[in-house]
Amino acid sequence: MIFLARRLVFYFAAFVLAITFNFLIPRLMPGSPSDRIIASFQGRLSESQVAAIRRSYGFDGNLWEQYITYVQSVFRLDFGISTVQFPEPTAALLFYGAQWTLVLVGLAIFLAFFIGSFMGIHAAWNRGGFFDSFFTPINVMMNAFTPAIVALLLFYAFSLQLKWFPLGRAHDPNLMQNWFDLKFVGSVLYHATLPVLSILLVSFGGWHLGMRNVMINLLNEDFVVLARAKGLSENRIKYRYVARNAILPQITSLALSIGFMLGGALVVEQVFNYPGLGKFTFTAIGARDYSFIQGQLLLLTCSVLVANLVSDIANVMLDPRLRGR
Amino acid sequence: MSSDRALLEVRNLTVDYVGDNSIARAVDGIDFDIREGEAFGLAGESGCGKSTVAFALARLTRLPGLVSGGEVRLDGQDVLKFDKARLKAYRWREVSFVFQSAMNALNPVIPISEQLIDVMETHEPGLSKEEARKRAIDLFDLVGIPPARLDEFAHQFSGGMRQRICIAIALALKPRLIIMDEPTTALDVVVQRDIIEQIVELKNRLGFSVLFITHDLGLMIEFCDRIGVMYSGELVEVAPSGSILTNPQHPYTRALGNSFPPLTGPRVRLEGISGTPPRLTDLPPGCRFAPRCPHAMPICHTQAPELRFYPQHQSEAACHLLN
Repeated sequence: MIFLARRLVFYFAAFVLAITFNFLIPRLMPGSPSDRIIASFQGRLSESQVAAIRRSYGFDGNLWEQYITYVQSVFRLDFGISTVQFPEPTAALLFYGAQWTLVLVGLAIFLAFFIGSFMGIHAAWNRGGFFDSFFTPINVMMNAFTPAIVALLLFYAFSLQLKWFPLGRAHDPNLMQNWFDLKFVGSVLYHATLPVLSILLVSFGGWHLGMRNVMINLLNEDFVVLARAKGLSENRIKYRYVARNAILPQITSLALSIGFMLGGALVVEQVFNYPGLGKFTFTAIGARDYSFIQGQLLLLTCSVLVANLVSDIANVMLDPRLRGR
Repeated sequence: MSSDRALLEVRNLTVDYVGDNSIARAVDGIDFDIREGEAFGLAGESGCGKSTVAFALARLTRLPGLVSGGEVRLDGQDVLKFDKARLKAYRWREVSFVFQSAMNALNPVIPISEQLIDVMETHEPGLSKEEARKRAIDLFDLVGIPPARLDEFAHQFSGGMRQRICIAIALALKPRLIIMDEPTTALDVVVQRDIIEQIVELKNRLGFSVLFITHDLGLMIEFCDRIGVMYSGELVEVAPSGSILTNPQHPYTRALGNSFPPLTGPRVRLEGISGTPPRLTDLPPGCRFAPRCPHAMPICHTQAPELRFYPQHQSEAACHLLN
């Protein structure tokens, strides 16, 4: 419990630091976002209009007052108004994008984790066998590609040429969003197939390799030899005595990937015209939509912090050696 | 305690380590018996093949190790030819194992109780949960650890307690033979003594045999009934432990004995053994100890001596000097 409390204090401090930087960075750059907007009207604004724009983007008053306003708005989940999708509130855009990014990247990460880890377990258990000598090099090679290349290839082959999969969107636009409707969920999965695949294909090799290497080291441990001497079944030794221990470092990596998940899959979402955070961010950067970029940065920071906290808790739960008294 | 009936008969056991284009014969055709209720010791310096023998007896040899010949007979059946089902029963029901490092022999993330109980459940499928737990508690009592600590993890115990736990696990199915591969090497001397005394007490009470491996010759003489001395993959002498230091037959045994300081009596300069053991891939043609032997004769360099029984000494030895 003390451990958990210490971690919570640490993460809160990290969170405060993160929002402070998030507040300072745009203000340290020459030309605030509101100045850009004001400048784009080329002097055709009245004094009161200028003041209103400044206020709505949080640039009125001195730095300290601005900071207080900013922190308050963060806790109200108010990230300002998007300039690209004016007058949508940025928060609404962020949550809309986050939802689809979670579907896309979340599916890809979990599938990659499970498939890769299982392949790693199998490869390590039959080290040097056919499976290991065939799939290990292939998965390492796949890991060297970027999702962008795979996305373009898949998009060209299956969406453009064969027309097996849609050209864009997260679901059939004729269906109302309803997560309890199997037809809708099916449509979501159908639209997510190729984008998920393009991330999955290049990422499960990492899990495969990580799991395999840790497993192989563990196979020579005395407690594994003892388990064999005890006459335990193959599966019990493989999963309960070896994979159970080998999964621990994988969990930490998994938490990190989940944390960065909300960064979105910039290129993949762009290629498949998928309405996730990556695509929005891409557009926002091009259009200098500061409120969106700032909100996205904050969302990413928070998700990394939360994922780290979850990883800490998971590690303590799974590894008795970390449990303090 | 020991009878003359052999429990395990090892005949011409040969174990190789297979490299890409070389074969190292780590154990070269050794013969010995482990009698019922006996503590048999295997002594020798590092790399002589003691642990390789232990692993081969338990059928734990894995690539690059390969048991390439010989027999290990238990009740007249060859252990090396056991099929999967018979092997499963052989493991732990007949032969169990205690490793050198109790630190690594216990899985760090599984409770001790599970590591004790899973071996019972594997070998006695009908066993109820309550019965298994009761036996685990009894085993903890047997090795002197409070049963309340059954569900703790390896890191919560001291080194000595961990080794006791390993012994408890080894006793779980009341095996006929326990192979102890340097069970006390990783412990400090005080704990060593406790553990050895406990093993002796349990052995006298439960009547199992022990194959005891260590390079602590003093400890071995105290604990074992008979001792086999290995050198470079061969047994050079097998003798009752009472006479192995006082009346060694093989020059290597003598030299090994001279390498230990006597606890009582005048201070003497330890002799040690000059030179190093031969590489297993490049063995001398005759006796393997000949290049380091102070008494080597011409025949020693050309012809390998055989292990023979010498009734006047009650021991077996492989040395031309004795003929």
